[in-house]
Amino acid sequence: MQSENGFYGQYGGSYIPEILFASQQQILTAFEEAKQDESFLAELNKQWQQFSGRPTPLTFCANLTEHFGGAQIYLKREDLNHSGAHKMNNVIGQGLLVKHMGKKRVIAETGAGQHGIATALVAARLGLECTIYMGAKDIERQYPNVFWMKQLGAEVVPVTTGAQTLRDALDEALRDWSSSHEDSHYLIGTSCGCAPFPEMVAFFQSVIGNEVRQQSVAQFDQFPDRLYACVGGGSNACGLFLPFLDNKEVEMIGVEAGGKGLALGEHSIRLSHNLGQPGIAQGFATMFLQDNAGQLQETHSIAAGLDYVGVSPIIAHLAETGRIKMTYAMDDEVIAACTLLLKKEGIIPALESSHALAGAFKDAPNLPKDSKIVINLSGRGDKDIFNVAKAVQDETFPEFLNDYLASYPTRHLDNQEQN
Amino acid sequence: MSQLAEFTQQKLIRKPILAMTHVVYGYPSVTESLSWMRRLLEESVDFIEVQFPFSDPVADGPSIVAACHKALEQTLDVDTCLSQLGELARDFPESRIVLMSYLNPMYRFGLEKLAKRASEENIQGLILPDLPIEAASQYQQACQRHNIDPVWLVTPVTPTERLTMLASQASGFLYCVARSGVTGHSSHESKAKDASLDDYLALIKQHASAPIGVGFGLRKRSQIEQLIGKADIAILGSALLDAYNQGGQNAGIELIKELFH
Repeated sequence: MQSENGFYGQYGGSYIPEILFASQQQILTAFEEAKQDESFLAELNKQWQQFSGRPTPLTFCANLTEHFGGAQIYLKREDLNHSGAHKMNNVIGQGLLVKHMGKKRVIAETGAGQHGIATALVAARLGLECTIYMGAKDIERQYPNVFWMKQLGAEVVPVTTGAQTLRDALDEALRDWSSSHEDSHYLIGTSCGCAPFPEMVAFFQSVIGNEVRQQSVAQFDQFPDRLYACVGGGSNACGLFLPFLDNKEVEMIGVEAGGKGLALGEHSIRLSHNLGQPGIAQGFATMFLQDNAGQLQETHSIAAGLDYVGVSPIIAHLAETGRIKMTYAMDDEVIAACTLLLKKEGIIPALESSHALAGAFKDAPNLPKDSKIVINLSGRGDKDIFNVAKAVQDETFPEFLNDYLASYPTRHLDNQEQN
Repeated sequence: MSQLAEFTQQKLIRKPILAMTHVVYGYPSVTESLSWMRRLLEESVDFIEVQFPFSDPVADGPSIVAACHKALEQTLDVDTCLSQLGELARDFPESRIVLMSYLNPMYRFGLEKLAKRASEENIQGLILPDLPIEAASQYQQACQRHNIDPVWLVTPVTPTERLTMLASQASGFLYCVARSGVTGHSSHESKAKDASLDDYLALIKQHASAPIGVGFGLRKRSQIEQLIGKADIAILGSALLDAYNQGGQNAGIELIKELFH
């Protein structure tokens, strides 16, 4: 979606410290050139295909469709990307842009670690130095991802300020960029931040919706009646929705994280029920969860990838104009939707994507039998093994962990054995 | 000429360079921070830059970030802050107070209201580091209406054309960031070699009629000496906070005396 000078209605823009002005201009120019450059686009498509495995399939879910007895349910399988999530579409695009600009290092923020891993993968492949900022609390909760980032050669920096989560990691990445802008690129993971990041990330993610346009016509002779996507930062929703923006008959539903409840601090609902307020922070204007004095607040979701205080200015604008309908799913509904997909279709969804499932499952029984809905399965759920095990109260899991720990060779023991 | 610029010119008749000291409002408590400001004014600092805390201060390094987060453990109110600063401004007419914050808390308070209230309390300058001049026309108009100065920042990597534009629009003073990076000591010290500070300040002086303030990374007497004749105001932020954290008000005052006397 083309912005007007970086703005989407009243949202977006560029509110960055003066020190970043020149670097931001460089990205603006590089992106404008790249998206017109046939050779850049050819390389992008090649990497999408050969490194990430695109195109991803559009999968019909016969059992779920029968189960709900309403709309015919299709999943866009972004979980089948390399790294297991749609994040790859964007990091490949920005990674190639970094090479194009001649920079040697990338900086990224990560919450759950999915964007961190995707960035580390691409940095390794393109020969770039890589520094990942991650809240110290998120590092504790998501250590397996941290482990892989380090194995991939990235430096993972724990952020110990504030609530020690994604928002603080983003602040710290901006601070790094303020000092390293000459040789480093800030590889932002979602369609947020100062211009041109929202537009650029949405551009790279639009491969999702562009594929669905072709696949839907090939598989069921029409565009989908409805599209569903979870909305954290908003990049997978932008990716699925934006290519259908001008097809007015296609309805779009964004699903936010209802978390544990609607009290401030228990959810990440920014775009409905008057829970978010307009604000300007972290480089851009959007709806933020904040108090009356304009201080940004804590958020919660069982899915770390949706646990963000702001939201893409593109989604905020399209929600305000009514083009996208916003709803939310609570933590327990999300686990139920995840479990249902496992049992009915043999697919393990990420908890983020399970929000989109939960939103769609509420509507599906009431939709006409000949209607077609596409849910963006933005990521696979392997990473959520600890959270899901806890949520379904698996009895054997703690036993497994204890055994694993008991047999784990510590450095101390190794040394003794060597002696 | 703007009130701040005129004040600066008058003061420079008797001093080679003016001192602007930075204080985080509400750190470690509102009362403590006001007492610290009063002490600084009693010691005749020329300016105090008061930072109204924001949860996500992206242009600041660890010292100021920690102080802002500590301050926000209590509920802080912009209007009350301005009234309290106004009282100090009235008690110490030989010094000036400017208010610095990030855009969001001020945007929520209302930029027109901010300019009006600041003016009523004789707070003559406002610094919002994440509001670029391109997006600031309403804010500029509000400041003009209420006769206070919006302070703009320039950096060693600001392109010359833009630096000229910012310098020509500067009123009150122009805040010249001395180096890349965030305020104070941090893990993000720039590895890149910035152009010589002297050349940078000379270029600014060519284009700016407003006084020149320099901040970011000032900690040593030799740095202040290097600025004399090239800049009008030296801004002391994180270094003062670090001294305050280590030895309270007295240690802070000692640092100021060491640097400026």
